[in-house]
Amino acid sequence: MSEARTDGAKPTTGDALLTVRDLKKYFPVKEGFLIDRTVDHVRAVDDVSFEVRAGETLGLVGESGSGKTTTGFCVLQLLKPTAGSVQFDGRELTTMSRRDLREIRREMQIVFQDPYASLNPRMTVGDIVAEPLVIHGVGNRRSRRRSAEQLLEVVGFNPDFINRYPHEFSGGQRQRIGIARALALNPRLIVCDEPVSALDVSIQAQILNLLKDLQNEFGLAYLFIAHDLAVVRTMSDRIAVMNTGKIVEYGPAEDVYAHPKDPYSQALLAAVPIPDPRRMRERRAERRKHKDVLAEPV
Amino acid sequence: MALLEVRDLHTYFRTRAGEVKAVDGVSFDVEVGEMLGIVGESGCGKSVTVLSLMGLVQPPGRVVQGSAFFQGRDLVKLKGREMEDIRGHEIGMIFQDPMTSLNPTLTIGTQITETLRRHLDMNKKEARKRAIELLDEVHIPNAAKRLDDYPHRYSGGMRQRVMIAIALACNPKLLIADEPTTALDVTVQAGVLDLFHELRTQHEMGVIIITHDMGVVAETANDIVVMYAGQIVEHATALDLFDRPEHPYTEALLSALPQVEGEGIREGRLLSIPGRPPDLIDPPPACRFAPRCLYAGQDDCAVVPPELREIRPDHWVRSAHPASERAGEPVGVT
Amino acid sequence: MLTDRRGEFEATLTRTAAERGQEAGAAIARASLLRDAIHRFMRNRAAVVAAFAFVVMVGFVIFTPILSSQDPYAVDFSKSFLRPSWDHPFGTDEFGRDLFVRTALGGRVSIAIGFAATFAIMGVGIIYGAVSGFAGGWIDNAMMRFLDALYGLPYLPFAILTLAIFGRVNFWTMVVALTVASWFTTARVMRGQIITLKENDYVRAAHALGARWYRVLFRHLLPNTLGVILIFVFLELPGVVLGEAFLSFLGLGIDPPDASWGTLAQDGYTAYQAHPYIIIIPSLCISWLIISAFFVADGLRDALDPRTRQKF
Repeated sequence: MSEARTDGAKPTTGDALLTVRDLKKYFPVKEGFLIDRTVDHVRAVDDVSFEVRAGETLGLVGESGSGKTTTGFCVLQLLKPTAGSVQFDGRELTTMSRRDLREIRREMQIVFQDPYASLNPRMTVGDIVAEPLVIHGVGNRRSRRRSAEQLLEVVGFNPDFINRYPHEFSGGQRQRIGIARALALNPRLIVCDEPVSALDVSIQAQILNLLKDLQNEFGLAYLFIAHDLAVVRTMSDRIAVMNTGKIVEYGPAEDVYAHPKDPYSQALLAAVPIPDPRRMRERRAERRKHKDVLAEPV
Repeated sequence: MALLEVRDLHTYFRTRAGEVKAVDGVSFDVEVGEMLGIVGESGCGKSVTVLSLMGLVQPPGRVVQGSAFFQGRDLVKLKGREMEDIRGHEIGMIFQDPMTSLNPTLTIGTQITETLRRHLDMNKKEARKRAIELLDEVHIPNAAKRLDDYPHRYSGGMRQRVMIAIALACNPKLLIADEPTTALDVTVQAGVLDLFHELRTQHEMGVIIITHDMGVVAETANDIVVMYAGQIVEHATALDLFDRPEHPYTEALLSALPQVEGEGIREGRLLSIPGRPPDLIDPPPACRFAPRCLYAGQDDCAVVPPELREIRPDHWVRSAHPASERAGEPVGVT
Repeated sequence: MLTDRRGEFEATLTRTAAERGQEAGAAIARASLLRDAIHRFMRNRAAVVAAFAFVVMVGFVIFTPILSSQDPYAVDFSKSFLRPSWDHPFGTDEFGRDLFVRTALGGRVSIAIGFAATFAIMGVGIIYGAVSGFAGGWIDNAMMRFLDALYGLPYLPFAILTLAIFGRVNFWTMVVALTVASWFTTARVMRGQIITLKENDYVRAAHALGARWYRVLFRHLLPNTLGVILIFVFLELPGVVLGEAFLSFLGLGIDPPDASWGTLAQDGYTAYQAHPYIIIIPSLCISWLIISAFFVADGLRDALDPRTRQKF
């Protein structure tokens, strides 16, 4: 892993920051008349292991229902894992006390997918971005206001917008606000859950560039969750491909994209439409090879 | 005479804040056997364009100007009943979200036969037989049995195939697909796009596909229209558009796309277009892309609206600075 | 350790903030959600007329006793059962008391009971529903099963029982009785709202930030229910006013000489055949209030509906 990735903030060592082992999240399927009985389980996350190293991006890619978002939530303990271990900086999160967990939340944050649901419509943008500081008692009112202004500037906003409300901004702008909020406490890891899926291509590019810049400037590690293979490729150093709750491929990005070993990942890569009409025939032929994997469940 | 000739279409929406010029002067042709792709980002007017053709624009929107000649008749001028006869019969339409386009309380079979009996006057038996044929055509296994299933028993991709079957039921001359694969997973999308390709060669019809995904349009369309802020900014064959894009917006859009294959992707930055699409109530007076354009000069760009002109055979562009006419370095963003 | 890093972080933040351009661009037009909502309400003619009618009724009950020269308590048998006339727009009752002013006074009581009970219902319903929805799990289950059981009890006997327990019927006992019998729906709706709102990402974000439960509830969930609460006020009010009228009509109204519309209607009941106006007038007043409140609630619901995002 390359070392001098940051801008003087601090050196990244490439050590494992987040280690996930044998993670499982099963959702009970209940049935019953007066009393609910558990008849089955939906295995959203079924024995998943990976690690995210300091300063790098691990891309977690999969289609809908693959369990990638659930994995992200379990890592942050927003959902309680059914089994398995999640270690941040060597400390086990699944068994941590509420108080310790609260402390460690300062180091791991999240950016959500839907820019229209991730900001409280009744709070000003300044309040939203400063809320993390309020919750953890960082600074006083004046310093928090200053931090909020700077955070907004860092994500590309005019700091005067501090008193506006979310509805006055577009989707891409709201995502920036969400990123500013995630950055407020100086986390070391940010889970990006489909951060650009709801955005147009040109805005998507802006946000991805911003995320890259922030990663370099602040030495952030990302767990980057997405379904778009091209977007994941742009952001990730290493990749894990998920299918129905399991990781089917895991390795450095170039390797996975150039030489996928698992039939599902191969089919996935073959399925991506490439913006080059000349390759249409070749792509179609490639897809025919993976016809069985690509066939839909009946 | 082309299958569909759209000329100078203008569709405006009256809102409290002003008149939104969602479609502002759009013209194109669709020939039989051809697939026209209309690409653009959200708000560019691509969906409203086809809704206007189909008479599906609801108040406060209305078509204020323009014509759309289909088989000798101007679709824009047709009234309710006449348009209903054409919709579903001679023109088939597929929408984006397969989860909500099918009626959950009717079986798939009913929804297909409904359209057959409405337009083709078939009796129950004939319609049912035809429905099974259609499901086979879109590769739904066990068609005869599945005809009596309700939509919730079908997956997203299969529902979209059913939508295609319904759209094709009466052998339309023109098929319009509005973001047909956007709501589908990429693996499922591949199957549906393959189906489009197959159907296009088998049926004699023209197809319009609307999408924001450049990859999808590259793999399906042979002719492409790029829309921005309610206008067509570039119109070329698929090969020519991707080989040598002319309009600065098209170029920027292609450069902003993240790549799956290639070198140095992780370290590089994507070319992003600064700013946002313009307000359609009060768009920039001249070139609508000028405020975000790398090549907009202090000259005509802000004063004279560029016309759509043929820069090469079969390649039209609306710009004062198309790629092949540019001398040196970009002037800079205003 | 965290504090050292904080210093470094803030330095980087300052430096980067200065270097970054304002790529995000301008905000979209300074839209005010409130103004949009008001405008949508105004476009609904029925709602505007209803709001006006509501205000007129409230104005009537407040100002008429002040402005009128008639003494509503003066008993004068020579004037009993006079038909409506200029001096007595609503006529007089069997005791010769002017009904115009008495109706207004009765209205004060009915409306006051209505509002008081509505607010009490809101209070109880919101607390119960919010606790249930927020807690989730077995607590939610238990609370909802209890509510289901209460639903089974018939409204009227419940209210009557409560009044019986109190022994007397005055303003406050009536308010309590009506509240006790009617808070269920509000609780259920509030619970539904909270459960729906809990799914929003901004609530998850608050959890991810380490917010404690009270912050999530009071800062993120409840403020976003205000719209629904406002609508519900106008939906519950008619029910409560009608409930009071009903109880009064059955003879459980507040004691004379105070009157409410319900007791006035009850007074008129016995004399109905000869002097129909005595019962018709308070009934019309009740209907007026109920119908206008319902239309206002309908207008509010349309105005506050967040389905305004239009994309072409």
